[in-house]
Amino acid sequence: MKIILPLFLASLFFAGCIKDDFVDDEVSPELRISTMLDTIAEDSNFVMEAMYLNNVGQEEEAQNLIWTSSDTSIMSINKLTGLLYGKQFGSSVISVSYTNDLGVFKDSLSVEVGLNTVLQESQLKSGTINTTSTYELFGDFDIEQTETGVVLKLAENYTASTALPGLYVYLSNNNSTIVGALEIGAVEVFSGAHEYVIPDVSVNDYTYVLYFCKPFNVKVGDGKIQ
Amino acid sequence: MKKISIVIALLASFTSVFAGGPWTQKKGQGFYKLSEWWVVFDQHYTDAGLIDPNVTTGIFNTTFYGEYGVTDRFTGIVNAAVFSRNYMNNLVSLTTNEVLVPGEAFNSIGDIDVAFKYGLTKPGSKIPVAATVLLGIPTGNPSAGSQGNLQTGDGEFNQMLQLDAGTGFKLTNKISSYTSTYVGLNNRTNGFSEEIRYGLELGFGLLSNRIWLTGRLVGVESLKNGDTAETVTSTSIFANNTEFLSYAAEISVYATKRVGFSASVASVIRAEIIAAAPSYSVGVFCDLSK
Repeated sequence: MKIILPLFLASLFFAGCIKDDFVDDEVSPELRISTMLDTIAEDSNFVMEAMYLNNVGQEEEAQNLIWTSSDTSIMSINKLTGLLYGKQFGSSVISVSYTNDLGVFKDSLSVEVGLNTVLQESQLKSGTINTTSTYELFGDFDIEQTETGVVLKLAENYTASTALPGLYVYLSNNNSTIVGALEIGAVEVFSGAHEYVIPDVSVNDYTYVLYFCKPFNVKVGDGKIQ
Repeated sequence: MKKISIVIALLASFTSVFAGGPWTQKKGQGFYKLSEWWVVFDQHYTDAGLIDPNVTTGIFNTTFYGEYGVTDRFTGIVNAAVFSRNYMNNLVSLTTNEVLVPGEAFNSIGDIDVAFKYGLTKPGSKIPVAATVLLGIPTGNPSAGSQGNLQTGDGEFNQMLQLDAGTGFKLTNKISSYTSTYVGLNNRTNGFSEEIRYGLELGFGLLSNRIWLTGRLVGVESLKNGDTAETVTSTSIFANNTEFLSYAAEISVYATKRVGFSASVASVIRAEIIAAAPSYSVGVFCDLSK
């Protein structure tokens, strides 16, 4: 018994070793035009840009993007560099494609040729945050582009549980994990309308608003930006 | 930090089968127990009393429990987590197999409870009643780990006043029995809600009291008058407002006249803000009252 007891207690200690928990974080890869161009001035150039999000929603460098214009008499685009040139008044659909081991990915954007180059001014997206746990979380939101970034506006019907420690809000392209997500900050308002000003972000950069209990890596809820 | 008490709270239900209750030790006599208590859980009860998943978390406490009779009616008690280990698993991507969030572990001494029990009735009373004052000394670490999410203590000094009553009786000629009950008010500091604690215990002694089987019901009801995330911007409120009604079973076997071994398991009937997994305990005890 003098031997058995210490061995048993030791076995309990080793049972407390760190092991692995797996999270299913796969998402559909996506190619997304990130340039928010509305109109290009006639006889001028503009560089189009796109971002590739891999199968876990992380931005990954995409080489050999292929750019095309649906009407090359209106505007032309350099196939490899994305340098757009406005030839005459009218509109054309600019498309980009990317091929890798996971497949062929495409995105497109309708662009006008006009007197001046104009970026999309007030691009507004919205959605609804819903709980994905049994903690209370709900609220409609708008996310609006500004000159310096975006503003995430939670509506008056927003409500969140106050029972969680370290409830944080994020923008992400993967609604299963906060790895690679943009941390907006700790939640300090638990009901009613409020907003977050987020600099250096485009309204097209992220797909989800995420709520996570940060210290314990527990997902509380999310809302798709649409 | 309060969140760790999602499991530490359950420790309240693991005092010895022979300890606790309204019975005080005789002067100079004592009861001592060294035990290992643990819980590993990947789910927890939320504030709605429902179950949500979490990263697998484990807590292992090596605990020394001792009672000593200062007088026939006055017993000093200590319940000390002399070693506490808290860990969380790695979080790994099922897609890329990369470690997304590395697991962490923390080892230290845990919290220590010191209690003083006074027999309100004369020793040998048929229905003894005792009052206990318990001081919860926050010797553990309430905020270890990179996120402050590993704790070996709750970080608050609490004081509990408890009343116990019970009685012993013969179930049959060969089976000794006892039952006891208690109710206590736990005054917590540092923003924790106060608690009402209560319990009911039933024990049976078999084979000339060489084997004891014990069943327990333990309840904690929060007054919900402490901090919430709305008033405190920290990670320390998780276990505030913890409530549960737990049941436990324990077997204690005397290997000699005074030395024995025990094992127990406990789980909950209903709960809020607590681990959703059974906890276990094994230990060796020395009963100097024999």
